[in-house]
Amino acid sequence: MKRALIWAACLLALFSSTALAGDFLSASGKLDLRGVVPLKNSDTETEYPSLLGRLKVDTLPSNWHFHMWLEGGWDGTVALPAEDHAVFKAFDKVYQSITPFLEFKEAYGSYANDSLDLRVGIQRFSWGRLDEYPINDLLNPWDYSQFIRKPLEDRKIGVPSVSFRFNKNDWNAELVWVPILVPYRLPLYTERWTVFPQLLSLSKELEDKEKVTADILLREPELPPNTLANGSTGLRIQNLGVIDWGITLFHGYDLRPIFKTKEASFYYKSGEVIVDPGLAPDFHKMSSFGFDFAFVKGDWSFRAEAAYAVGRYFNTQYKFWGYPTTPELGQFELNPNQHQSDSVAYGVGFDHRLFEDCILIMQVQGTVILDRPDTLYDRKAETTIWAHLRNNFMNHKVQTDLSVAYNPEHSDTMAKAEIWYVFTDSLKVGITGVTFDGPPQSLFGRHSHNDQVEMNIVYAW
Amino acid sequence: MTKLRIIFSVLAVFLLMSPLAYAISGREVFEKVQALRNKKLDQKAEATMVLFDKGGGKRTRTLSMYGKDAAPEAYKVLIVFNSPPDLKDVGFLIHAHSAADRDLWAYFPEFKRIRRIPTASQDDSFFGSDFSYDDFSGPPDLNEYVYKIIREDEVIDNRPCYVIEVTPKKPRKYSKYIIWVAKNIWVPTKIEYYREKELYRAGAFKDIQTIDGIPTPFMYEMENLKTRHRTVLTIQSISYTTKYPDSLFTQRSLERGAK
Repeated sequence: MKRALIWAACLLALFSSTALAGDFLSASGKLDLRGVVPLKNSDTETEYPSLLGRLKVDTLPSNWHFHMWLEGGWDGTVALPAEDHAVFKAFDKVYQSITPFLEFKEAYGSYANDSLDLRVGIQRFSWGRLDEYPINDLLNPWDYSQFIRKPLEDRKIGVPSVSFRFNKNDWNAELVWVPILVPYRLPLYTERWTVFPQLLSLSKELEDKEKVTADILLREPELPPNTLANGSTGLRIQNLGVIDWGITLFHGYDLRPIFKTKEASFYYKSGEVIVDPGLAPDFHKMSSFGFDFAFVKGDWSFRAEAAYAVGRYFNTQYKFWGYPTTPELGQFELNPNQHQSDSVAYGVGFDHRLFEDCILIMQVQGTVILDRPDTLYDRKAETTIWAHLRNNFMNHKVQTDLSVAYNPEHSDTMAKAEIWYVFTDSLKVGITGVTFDGPPQSLFGRHSHNDQVEMNIVYAW
Repeated sequence: MTKLRIIFSVLAVFLLMSPLAYAISGREVFEKVQALRNKKLDQKAEATMVLFDKGGGKRTRTLSMYGKDAAPEAYKVLIVFNSPPDLKDVGFLIHAHSAADRDLWAYFPEFKRIRRIPTASQDDSFFGSDFSYDDFSGPPDLNEYVYKIIREDEVIDNRPCYVIEVTPKKPRKYSKYIIWVAKNIWVPTKIEYYREKELYRAGAFKDIQTIDGIPTPFMYEMENLKTRHRTVLTIQSISYTTKYPDSLFTQRSLERGAK
């Protein structure tokens, strides 16, 4: 009943915002119908059709301003029946099995004058220069429920925060305080985009061996208490000129997924095997000092960023975690699987216009772990190369995108091809094919069973 | 023999006189056009851009344009799209240090990121339209072109015009363009772009009204003659009495859609 009331209130808000648009508000929205056809691997979990909606509402421009970006709908990546019956996505859970759902991607009030901007509420920030995995973009956690099938900005989870921005001519300074730790979101082990296909395989082996169904137990992280000391803070200073440059300082929780092992146990309960992998997401504080710059030269637009991170944690290789090689019932003490080290992350990228309406976007990025034991999965220097070719035809009625990513250290790859046709200002249709390959713990290899073709119909107003 | 001498003499005088046949040179016409453009640097305009397919389909974009005379540097321009939904709040910022030296940035709210744009893409389509980025980028550097008046007193929309051939000194997407400039008011009324001898893009600038003492076309049409795609940009409102602060032409303003 409560759920129905909340949905009714949301629909009422939707219609009233549309009705008020023009007088007090501006409103825009989008509906995205998405269907997926898995390719080579029929043994992966089902992804159902999705219908996702987006509503953005802004008060008309003045010194005081309110902005809201609400998303919601039926998420086909959620395993059915959904385990969680909440309406809104939570700010304190990693695993959220909710469909239909609602989520405030952004909702903030702001005061601005000629040079100052104060914002309070749920915000997303975009710091740094790179298109994928921007090194200095450390304030927002990501939603990994479709891995990087979602564009970077759609992956970001808005965080309750206070931001203060000062602008004078070509100088810009932004100070952000995020008072609570909002964790990243991961798909359930049983969902199509799980980041631990190894655990799904282990569970299936136990099912085959014991001839009963198996259920994998999820462990939420132990989040730190919401105290002032547990917030995250970032400062960014930028200058716009012949060379745009910026420096970024960050101290707070590292929002890149890291896991902590305890004790695994596989046991019978109510006629099924319970697989407790003894594994939970984990969060540690770190400090990061970064800089970035961008400039153009002829047909080329260059950008780069780097950061020195103090006390970042890394996971060891899965094979050292201590899971039994042959699945059997019992309890297994797992090995510590984390290592702390300073690291340097860097990345360079460029856009090059090949010909009219055709742009090649390249990015090379890497991480150097300064104190690396041999047990780490990450190599001393990790590199990822991204190439993206974007082409527009027929006065932008047709857009094609071809993206390739490659990590030479683990030989894992991703390739994606997209074509969109714009029927009208409001309606467009796209078909996307994506394929992954590589070892199970690698960035792309963990999704090597997720090759798929999907179709999207997008209506925007 | 005498007849021949007379004919040669007349021809020689005609040939010698021909460069002086026009009271003004092509370059001088363009200096006057440029002087008028410089008066338009301070401006605020609301415009609608309609893209027409060969098959009759149309797409509409609305945009706000802000300009500032940034002496001793050249000028600053901020363009923000208000619709369609895909382009809403996409912005485009130019800081021109001189007519030949411009810094360009684009803001895409989808990525929440500002991107530097190479000036080499100045002849590319402006967001799918038949206009180019250059058409929105303020006055050009006159020294980058060679001008030649090829006809005089050609009438467009009841206005006598100079017809001038303009050839870029550096390679561009076009090898030359021919432009019709209305006499006395120094406003272009028609333009044709050529690749070698092939005419591939043509435009007309109509409905000239005087705003704040400055003659201004309110309708700009541009057609790609190869694809038969056509764009009509209509000025809804325009003012040249604005004196915007520098803070309107910053990264922050670009990200906020000039709000």
